[in-house]
Amino acid sequence: MSDDGVHDNLALRIRFLSTWITVFAGFISVSALADEPLHEVIDRLIAAKVPAYAEVVAPLAGDDEFLRRVTLDLTGTIPTAEEARRFCDDSDPDKRSRLIDQLLGGPQYARHMQRVFDLLLMRRLPEMNVPTAQWQTYLRQSFAENKPWDQITREILGADGVDPDHCGPARFYLDRQGDADVITRDLGRIFLGADLECAQCHHHPEIDDWKQEDYYGLSAFIVRSFVFTDKDEKKSFAEKAEGDVEFISAFDVRDKKSQETKSTPPRVFGGPPIEEPKFEKGQEYEVAPADNVRPIPKFSRRDQLAESIIGTEHNRFARTAANRLWAMMMGRGLIHPVDHDHAGNPPSHPELLNRLGQEFATQKFDIQWLLREIALSRTYQLSSRHTASDLPTVALKDKSFARAILKPLSPAQLARAMLEATGEANVQRAALGDQLTEKTLDENLFKYEEEFVNRFGGPPGKPPEQFESTISQILFLSNHETIQNLIASKEGNLTDRLLRFTEEESAATADELFFSILSRLPTEQDVQDVSECLAGQTEESRTAAIEDLIWALITSPEFRFNH
Amino acid sequence: MRCKHTCNSAEHFSRRGFLQGVTGGALGMAGFRNMVSAEGAQQLASSQKQVVVFWMSGGVSQLETWDPKPATDTGGPFQTIPTSVPGVHISELLPYTAQQMHHLALVRSINTNNNDHAKGDYMMQTGYRQTPGFEYPFLGSAFSSLLAPEESPLPHYLVLQTQGDYGNDSAFPLESSFLGPQHAPVSLRGGKPPTNLARPLQMPATSELRRRQLRAKLGQRFSLGRPSDDVEVYNASFEQAAAMMNHREMFDFEKFSAKDLERYGTHPFARHCLIARKLLENGITFVKIRHTDYDSHSENFNFHLEQLGEWDRPFATFVGDLAERGMLEQTLIIVMCEFGRTPKINVRMGRDHWGTAWSIALGGCGIQPGAVVGKTNANGTAVVDREVDSGHLFHTFYRAVGLDPTEDFVHEGRPFHRTDPKASAIQEILA
Repeated sequence: MSDDGVHDNLALRIRFLSTWITVFAGFISVSALADEPLHEVIDRLIAAKVPAYAEVVAPLAGDDEFLRRVTLDLTGTIPTAEEARRFCDDSDPDKRSRLIDQLLGGPQYARHMQRVFDLLLMRRLPEMNVPTAQWQTYLRQSFAENKPWDQITREILGADGVDPDHCGPARFYLDRQGDADVITRDLGRIFLGADLECAQCHHHPEIDDWKQEDYYGLSAFIVRSFVFTDKDEKKSFAEKAEGDVEFISAFDVRDKKSQETKSTPPRVFGGPPIEEPKFEKGQEYEVAPADNVRPIPKFSRRDQLAESIIGTEHNRFARTAANRLWAMMMGRGLIHPVDHDHAGNPPSHPELLNRLGQEFATQKFDIQWLLREIALSRTYQLSSRHTASDLPTVALKDKSFARAILKPLSPAQLARAMLEATGEANVQRAALGDQLTEKTLDENLFKYEEEFVNRFGGPPGKPPEQFESTISQILFLSNHETIQNLIASKEGNLTDRLLRFTEEESAATADELFFSILSRLPTEQDVQDVSECLAGQTEESRTAAIEDLIWALITSPEFRFNH
Repeated sequence: MRCKHTCNSAEHFSRRGFLQGVTGGALGMAGFRNMVSAEGAQQLASSQKQVVVFWMSGGVSQLETWDPKPATDTGGPFQTIPTSVPGVHISELLPYTAQQMHHLALVRSINTNNNDHAKGDYMMQTGYRQTPGFEYPFLGSAFSSLLAPEESPLPHYLVLQTQGDYGNDSAFPLESSFLGPQHAPVSLRGGKPPTNLARPLQMPATSELRRRQLRAKLGQRFSLGRPSDDVEVYNASFEQAAAMMNHREMFDFEKFSAKDLERYGTHPFARHCLIARKLLENGITFVKIRHTDYDSHSENFNFHLEQLGEWDRPFATFVGDLAERGMLEQTLIIVMCEFGRTPKINVRMGRDHWGTAWSIALGGCGIQPGAVVGKTNANGTAVVDREVDSGHLFHTFYRAVGLDPTEDFVHEGRPFHRTDPKASAIQEILA
């Protein structure tokens, strides 16, 4: 933004530093264990933490369980009945890795990641100054191109929203209304794994590493920034050349120890303070502030933010992202909760976390690469079910990763999975005919997604941190016409398909029912339950019984969770 | 901040597995069904403590209700009237309530030192000032977890509000904080049953039960070898919803007698009072009725004349009914809001936000009938006797229903005070 020499020099130094860290980190990992791929490192380090691992670990997930899991994790929906049957019948020993590549390369990957990162970055905050459609398109394209995470970070933290055609990434700042406190908290949380909220008012009472200076060091990068409205009411993020953070510890005030306010230059987590060039009075601006004029300072603090965050010591930026991607796939971070990365909350597997962070950086923050390695690991592919009659205690502990953790479907996943399971997605595909593309289908299905997000996604700005299930959600699933309409028979949906079987064909009925909804073969007991339910039912009563079976399965825990 | 159900002992899991086996099916409700029958209600009334909060949203004026100061610079146009308690006078805007004063008590010396709606709301619903990074459960959720019969799968905390009230249903799960979603409030809007409680027209009645049975049967096998707190939470919410569907008649609010409608009135707040009476009779632990909106920055007096004109008679009738039916001894009544209103009358004939010297009313369970605690100065600009804040009030609420406010909630192994340890109960108002 500024072509001032001092600024460039500084940015260069920071860039040099972060490159050096990256190269150095890469050097260690490559030289230490040259040929061991990351997915094998994962399995080795997970196993090493559990005594007698081989005896207590859950078995490898069956093809059906693996297919459903990885499809939900990488594309946000469940496989179709045909896909499930085909995958289970495929005898290619490499079919799992082939599937992973196919899912990462498909269009649904970008759609799903758009939703995951939209939630992470915007927490369902309402649209204020930037059209959400532009933001979502930006995210989707970024994931479709497999943009490196550091690049996405630079684009978002460097965005000012001046160009109306490219203001998508500026939503991070502008729809937080430029509020320095809200932005500071989310910078810490999202990019550095540190929820510094408490440190806004005083040193964190229980977390020694998080000082009030850390909060305000981060805040100092944006304290001069503000939402500028031009004469056409167009908003952008602008910056002044003056202004410093001021803070005082609420504890000091309470204990009457001190009334003095403190300040700090911009700096990220004990990293070097950003040195600011001094300008003579009146010379601070490239474009000086005036009525209806968007000021541009010669030195922009905000321009230093992305590189400072990316270059945070101990590889913290890479580690945080790697931990989040791990948590997305595994259902729990190596640091848990993911935004509590501090000395008092050590990772369950420190060496593994370091490796994930280092190699992620070495691979130039390639998100697909990391997801692929995680998905290839045996640890990811373990069953969620423990077969031992007497469950070993260690297998019950999520942090041992000795069996797959149940992950509740996100509201968007739940909506898409229901549409696929009940055959509504097929009905819509057929209705689109020639017009069918991923895009048109997504558009047609979006209203369902929206409805589920509104009902299951918590209030704007406060998405639930853990699984929760409310009565009003269950009453919705039980009695709302949206759900009834998905189940009610119509040409080409699941109820319609099932009604075409005769009563004698109960095994085939159960097979279609279970593959469509739960992506698996029914057990003998399942088949028996289905036959009993349908026995002697004809006409309307048979339709009702089939609808009831479908409802029971789409509301079952097996469907509600990714297992 | 959510509930943490995890206990890593295998023994605990198997015990809960057993419980789930017993109660997981649709038929597990049989025992509870008896409790909500007519005799059940009587039985409940004799043992279970219940609470009803009248939330005067926006901040009702203490000067136009419980602590009038006629003939002073701050008093406004209204006079005081005597009540059924000798020596106790309240605003003439509450003539019916005045006749029930012998069932009620007043705290006239609250200083919460806050003039912000959101902060006041939080303070008066949790008993704490807001602190970043931690959310205390609301009173309704706390009492749902502490007072409600454990075996009842029904929701224990219901909120009655008008259709257009600004309360956001999707924020309700936050009220229960770490106590978990089973203690979050269920909202009843516009005097109607909960949304989506009615069975869809096209669905046969037989399907409702069969769906639940199939769900329990087909879902059970999944849980074998996959112990999970989340699955338990999920299944428990189906039980709560099923219990509500099994008791739809409890939420049928079309059948109030003509006499009741005449005594209470037919406007939304009157209807909410009748609904609250019915819910309490059916054993619901905590009912909050929101009455909006008292945020009278201008035209304070017309505003209160109108709003309290609507509020007074149904509220007084409700109190009288509970007393007559023998329910008052077990039911704590609280009339409160986020703060009071400024003694100073502004240029728009309004009163602004004021947390410095204001009042609430209490009654029923555990409360000394007719008691008046605390005092403000002659024109109501300061507390002069027995100053209390939300912490004291919450200690008092707990004591009134027989709970120890100094005990802790335990969340993730860490204890959290139920109420502010720096405060204590207002003993002189407790029975």
